[in-house]
Amino acid sequence: MLGKKAHNMNGTLRRMWRYFAKEKGLFLLVLTMIMISSVLSLAGPYLMGLAVDGVLAGWTGSELLHMLIWLMLVYLLQSVAVFFQNYWMIGIAQNVVFFMRNQLFAHLQRLPLSFFQKRQHGELMSRLTNDMENVSRTLNGAVIQVVTSTLTLMGTIVMMLWLSPLLTVLTLLIVPVLFAGMKWITKRTGRYFKAQQRNIGDMNGFIEETISGQKIIKMYSQERRVIAEFESKNEALRMSSYWAQAYSGFIPKLMNMLNNISFTIIVGIGGILALKGAVSIGVIVTFTTYSRQFTRPLNDLANQFNMILSAVAGAERVFQIMDEESEEKNEQRAKSISTLTGDIVFDQVSFSYENEVATLNSVSFHVYPGQMVALVGPTGAGKTTVLSLLSRFYDADEGTIYVDGTDIKNITRKSLRRHMAFVLQDSVLFRTTVRENIRYGKLDATDEEVEEAAKQANAHDFIMKLSKGYDTVLTSEGSDLSQGQKQLLSIARAMLADPRLLILDEATSSIDTITEMKISEALSKLMRGRTTFVIAHRLNTIQHADLILVLKAGMVIEKGTDQELMKQNGFYADLVQTQRQKGVM
Amino acid sequence: MKLLFKFIQPYKLAMLIALFFTILELAVELYQPVIMAIIIDDGIVAGDLSIVYLWGSVLLGTSLLAFIGGIINSFYAAQVSQGVGYGIRKELFQKVQEFAFQQFQKFPTSSLITRLTNDVTQIQNFIFMGLRIALRAPLFIIGGIIMAYMVNVKLAHILLITVPVLLLITLWLLKKGVVLFQRVQRKLDSLNRVIRENLLGIRLVKAFTRETYEEKRFKEVNSSLMGDNKKALRIMELTMPILMLGMNGAMLLMLWLGHKELGIGTAQAGEIVAIINYATRIMFSFTVFSFLMMNYSRAKASSSRITDVLEEETEEGKHQSAVCEKIAGEIDFDNVSFRYGDDLVLKGLSFSVKAGETIGILGETGSGKSSLFQLIPRLYEVTSGRIYIDQKNIKLRNVENLRQQIGLVPQEAHLFSGTIKENILWGKEDASLEEVMEAAKQAEIHEFIMKLPDGYDTLIGQRGVNFSGGQKQRLSIARALVRKPSILLLDDSTSALDARTEASILSTLKKQSCTILLIAQKVSSVKEADSILLIHEGELVAKGSHHDLLRENSYYQKIYSSQSEGKEAGCVG
Repeated sequence: MLGKKAHNMNGTLRRMWRYFAKEKGLFLLVLTMIMISSVLSLAGPYLMGLAVDGVLAGWTGSELLHMLIWLMLVYLLQSVAVFFQNYWMIGIAQNVVFFMRNQLFAHLQRLPLSFFQKRQHGELMSRLTNDMENVSRTLNGAVIQVVTSTLTLMGTIVMMLWLSPLLTVLTLLIVPVLFAGMKWITKRTGRYFKAQQRNIGDMNGFIEETISGQKIIKMYSQERRVIAEFESKNEALRMSSYWAQAYSGFIPKLMNMLNNISFTIIVGIGGILALKGAVSIGVIVTFTTYSRQFTRPLNDLANQFNMILSAVAGAERVFQIMDEESEEKNEQRAKSISTLTGDIVFDQVSFSYENEVATLNSVSFHVYPGQMVALVGPTGAGKTTVLSLLSRFYDADEGTIYVDGTDIKNITRKSLRRHMAFVLQDSVLFRTTVRENIRYGKLDATDEEVEEAAKQANAHDFIMKLSKGYDTVLTSEGSDLSQGQKQLLSIARAMLADPRLLILDEATSSIDTITEMKISEALSKLMRGRTTFVIAHRLNTIQHADLILVLKAGMVIEKGTDQELMKQNGFYADLVQTQRQKGVM
Repeated sequence: MKLLFKFIQPYKLAMLIALFFTILELAVELYQPVIMAIIIDDGIVAGDLSIVYLWGSVLLGTSLLAFIGGIINSFYAAQVSQGVGYGIRKELFQKVQEFAFQQFQKFPTSSLITRLTNDVTQIQNFIFMGLRIALRAPLFIIGGIIMAYMVNVKLAHILLITVPVLLLITLWLLKKGVVLFQRVQRKLDSLNRVIRENLLGIRLVKAFTRETYEEKRFKEVNSSLMGDNKKALRIMELTMPILMLGMNGAMLLMLWLGHKELGIGTAQAGEIVAIINYATRIMFSFTVFSFLMMNYSRAKASSSRITDVLEEETEEGKHQSAVCEKIAGEIDFDNVSFRYGDDLVLKGLSFSVKAGETIGILGETGSGKSSLFQLIPRLYEVTSGRIYIDQKNIKLRNVENLRQQIGLVPQEAHLFSGTIKENILWGKEDASLEEVMEAAKQAEIHEFIMKLPDGYDTLIGQRGVNFSGGQKQRLSIARALVRKPSILLLDDSTSALDARTEASILSTLKKQSCTILLIAQKVSSVKEADSILLIHEGELVAKGSHHDLLRENSYYQKIYSSQSEGKEAGCVG
């Protein structure tokens, strides 16, 4: 229990205590109830003893009845106190867990995108569910137990000291052994509990991924392979939980043995002392009872300690995420903007994803308000990265991006994005109605506005064909819609958002050309007066762009209008030529 | 909880060993007070130190025995409870792998995740608790009542009435608890769902600055989970105070009756003391029991959720169907209809494809093209009509064998965490690196991969987001090509590619000796196909080569002209 690990654990416990502190009022109530129920649980047997003695001593019926009524009252109060101590404790525990979950989730929303690239979804989910459940289980029971046991322990030690300090010291002889044993055990359980939570997270990640990718697994008949891989994760989890559980099982057994050893020491040495007349025999007899009372709460505490270890293992994983730096961290100097005209300058911007070859290399261009800019180039040229930098999903390594003349790093992400709308490569749907999915673009939009946006995006027709129209509930995978239909909904969402800056990242790639025609008509309506960035592979859709940026390997190799670039007879002209030959245009 | 019996079977021996050592421990523990009494009465009180030493060593010896027994018990108990958890998870996961697609609608991903982790944990906790205290509590209760009868029959009657009544109350609370805990687990499902949706769409959330809205959404499910959790736990916490009150009341009654009996001489003082003593012990066992009940109700709620999944009928039967053979790639659709949910997605489709042909499929968004593809490898079954491959109904073919020879590249390129090489190997587990590279070259992704610092060993799990849509699509094409399929199904798999790359990949593919079905949005992608199927609202409206259709079909002409719109005449073609 020393060294760095202990420090870690203390830190975690202290942090958990801070959550508890928020429930101080309730916690005081619980403590009061524990006191009351502890006192009553002593008073009950004591009065019962008196009553039994009374019966033996030949009390009259009314005398006994009197005592029994008192007893009944004590028992009733005790039950009530126990009930409320648990009732409020559950309240505290669940409130704390509720609060921690909310905080963790809120923090997740503020983490940069790069964080999410490194983590499996299922693994993160496990921290919010399985790890938090561990914390919750412990809080429900352990706190009461720990308080009760500590109270009993202190009471017993006081009684023992009062009876015989010498024998007390003898009894306490087992404490160092106990600590050594506990240290040995908890060093192992602590490690295995951590491994167990990690393995559960790992498995959760694997389950999420394989279920999301069921189609591929089925298609490629890879069931056996995933099952085998699952098996190895399952086995790893079994092993870590097995050891965690087996080692924690040692504690009560160890306590039992120490208990008996302590008893033997007391009677052995006590016997010698008694013979020498140093203590009375009566004291030894009483003392043995107390020494048993001494080890029982210690035993309980030891057991609770295991529960706490497992909760700490869970809480640590939760705090680990909470300690990740959020996007806003480096935004102290940033100001929020209330309007945006859409004047955008990239000045020698370079960027690379973590230890990878440069994705963008000294990119410069200037876009005036209301212009339409098209990004063209082979896949992997850095088109999407340009847009990611513009929306501050990432910050440039070198160079500066100016929005309306202000360095983009001095504008808060939130206020910047509030003026933008996106239609991304992968369309994201939520498990709610079609209407709510579109409304995501503008939360306070009326039903009419939603439908109007859908009509403009040409999504209205297919929505009306769905079984319940706008009230059809979609699944999160959106598996009941075709890819193109999902895209239409994404476009409707962006329409509704009514942004100053519109970003279309291959927005029309999976829409058939007839629909696309209608959409490009709607889009050109939408683009009017707004600065728009478009990534498209079909060059005919971007011919009337005010500025075409041709990217290759992270560099702008050509820029200008369609006409200018055709005249240059370079890479762009070549691309157009190929597409025409293939009859795309 | 029938579930439990099934999964505990393989660990019967371990369980018996664990129980044996629990009993041994129990026996030693029960005997120890006797030894202590001897030490005190015959040793200390009588002043005979030799007795103290003798029985002291016996006590130490037996405690050591109990300790060793306890440790062994701990290992076996852990083996049983972890083994059962392991077994349940294994079977659940296997079952899920056998699910047909329709079944994933019934059990959403988020719910399956909860069932596979959290629900199993609940059961494990119960077994662990159970093995530690299961025997003790009931034995103490029954033993206590029997002992009470031996002491005084009349007074013992009170116990015989109180204990069953209290048990009934516990059972009633238990039943309520199971329902409530089931609700808690369902709320966990929703919590999982919201988190998962949020993570899947984190880019969108950030782009639309919907963080606060998402937090609100999360808070709603979280708070309803908290509410149900409180309700369930509080109901179960009622058990203990009620049991305590009941037993304490019984003791008072016994004392009152005992007093009367004492008066008329039908009971002795010592009997009353003893019987009260037993009642106290029974009460302590009861409180432990109530703790066990809490765990039981959670486990029962979870086990029924697990059973729901395990009892689903799966497509297992398909794997047993007979015919396994190499297919050439001839495909015939005979009046095929397909219903998805309430909608008739495909209506009486009939067409034939010769082996080695390339067929283009055009149609509007939502016209049923993707559904058509999923019927061929039997990811879904036809509602009516028949599909033949090499003139044999696919229903008579072994599903696994059939799928092995089909390469389907879905619209959405789904990559798994792991390296690039591992992802391509999904297509063919035992493919050599050369084969992997060959496939990557055909999919025109090899050069890009070689440019990455780690090449084929680049981790996708951490990089997936950095891959562009086109790169993901090409990886997913490589995955299909590495298995050298007889039938290649490309479901709009080149949509995110630039025209040049697309054209180049398509011409490489045409050289392969396999039947290719190609869904596309662009006429240009399918122009070179041997034949083009035009699908409109689930019906086949036309079939023919590009030139035939251009000449004869007005719908095709409309599509074609929409795509060549705004272009100088003469460039077309």
